[in-house]
Amino acid sequence: MIIVESAGITDVGRKRKGNEDSLFTDDEIGLYVVADGMGGHQAGEVASRLVVKTMEDYIRQSREEGGESPEMTRVDKTLSEEANRLIAGVHLSNQVVHQISQSKPSYRGMGSTISAAYFTNEDTLIVSNVGDSPIYLIRNNIIETLSVPHTVVAEQMAMNPGASARFGKAFSHMLTRAMGIEKTVKPDLCEVQCFKNDMLVLASDGLSDKVSPKEVLHLAKNRTPDKACRVLVELANERGGDDNITVIVLKVKAVKPEKKGIMKIFSRIVGGIT
Amino acid sequence: MPKLTLKFKKDSTKIREYQLERGQSVNIGRLDTNDIVIENLAVSGHHAKIDWAGNGFLLTDLKSKNGTFVNDQIAISHWLKHGDVITIGKHVLIFEYAPDEAQPDAGDKKMGETMVMDTGKYRSMLAKNVSSKVSQVAETEKIGVLSFLAGGEGEVELTKKLTKIGKNASSDLVVKGFFVGQTAATISKRPDSYYLSYVGGFSKPKVNGQAVKESVELKQFDVVEIGSVKMQFMHKT
Repeated sequence: MIIVESAGITDVGRKRKGNEDSLFTDDEIGLYVVADGMGGHQAGEVASRLVVKTMEDYIRQSREEGGESPEMTRVDKTLSEEANRLIAGVHLSNQVVHQISQSKPSYRGMGSTISAAYFTNEDTLIVSNVGDSPIYLIRNNIIETLSVPHTVVAEQMAMNPGASARFGKAFSHMLTRAMGIEKTVKPDLCEVQCFKNDMLVLASDGLSDKVSPKEVLHLAKNRTPDKACRVLVELANERGGDDNITVIVLKVKAVKPEKKGIMKIFSRIVGGIT
Repeated sequence: MPKLTLKFKKDSTKIREYQLERGQSVNIGRLDTNDIVIENLAVSGHHAKIDWAGNGFLLTDLKSKNGTFVNDQIAISHWLKHGDVITIGKHVLIFEYAPDEAQPDAGDKKMGETMVMDTGKYRSMLAKNVSSKVSQVAETEKIGVLSFLAGGEGEVELTKKLTKIGKNASSDLVVKGFFVGQTAATISKRPDSYYLSYVGGFSKPKVNGQAVKESVELKQFDVVEIGSVKMQFMHKT
């Protein structure tokens, strides 16, 4: 059981007319999602909303039912049950966006990124992403990126660090994967042990283009999630606010492992010694 | 708000000025029904239009007979930038933002927006930027392995996103010992590296002799001790 304090803001920024980002936070089911939509004529908004709504509905429903639901056709044995559930939600959202995008000419080609964090009933945290919306983990005064950016530049850099210099600005926003573009999608995922005072920041590129991970660390670490969100959005706006800005900040207040009977008492005593 | 200055030929005096409003479209042509009327036979009845789209102005040629040009280049559709010269027939329209007005990014606007590569386009663009050799380098994923030094034999490949180590029979790596937790530790595979975390039990896992209280990154040849088991961590390609 992980107890989390959360806050999330989405802001239109200073240049764009509409907000194509969507977010979802729910401490009860332990799900947090940022989606950054793309596609003209409000299609980006539609895509990102579909992503967060589908994720919410799917996770809520499958938690209630428990076990494996029909959508979990591709159960990956290298993943935990909860991780499979999150992945199944991502696959379902992708299908929904893809189908809707085929239904109306103005929606054609719309897509979205997704960055999701999901807390399990035990003591781990699962994050999954498609696209370039980052997920940062702040622990012991260090910030790490748990998401894998699916951009041309990042992927080329991974293959050949020297070649990245050759890419111009043109490539900085070019995604190699996104939700709803194709029938299937391959999300990246990682599951980590969760500790008290861990902080997690999920954002859209409206933030990460303007504020470096280091700055995120300094601005977020000693603030409440609510305050941290506001400070981060303000800074991105001060620096131009060229895109929609969405930030979710989470703080782990407590991790309570499920211990039984005498072990509970033992671990309390010994926990004080070691 | 930006303005359009109408002139007959580029260097002559201005005929009229038009203010463009955000959110409004402007039609350009020979007929009276247009917002900007250019009475010249070289101009089509409905020649071109300018729309407010997103955060900029988009010029579209309405399949005019003699075409629309921007800075002497033929234009079908074009995002207008400060100082663009639109040529219609022998007339020109100069597009200018007001001095203190916010302008969309000077660079290629479309590139500022997020988009997804379709594979064909992706490859051809890459080909221009990266030598073919580079793109052929396959993505090699490093797999971490734990090889036993004591308390077991062989090695364990860390293919799972989260590998559980503990006394519990359902663990991926079962380690015996009275002080070992049901789940003593987990090893998490993250994008950059592997991390070992302490979960529970009286005896904490050790990495290079140091007890792990929370979580630590595993580096090449680190020695991991849990209960009676001693293992070495390695990256395998």
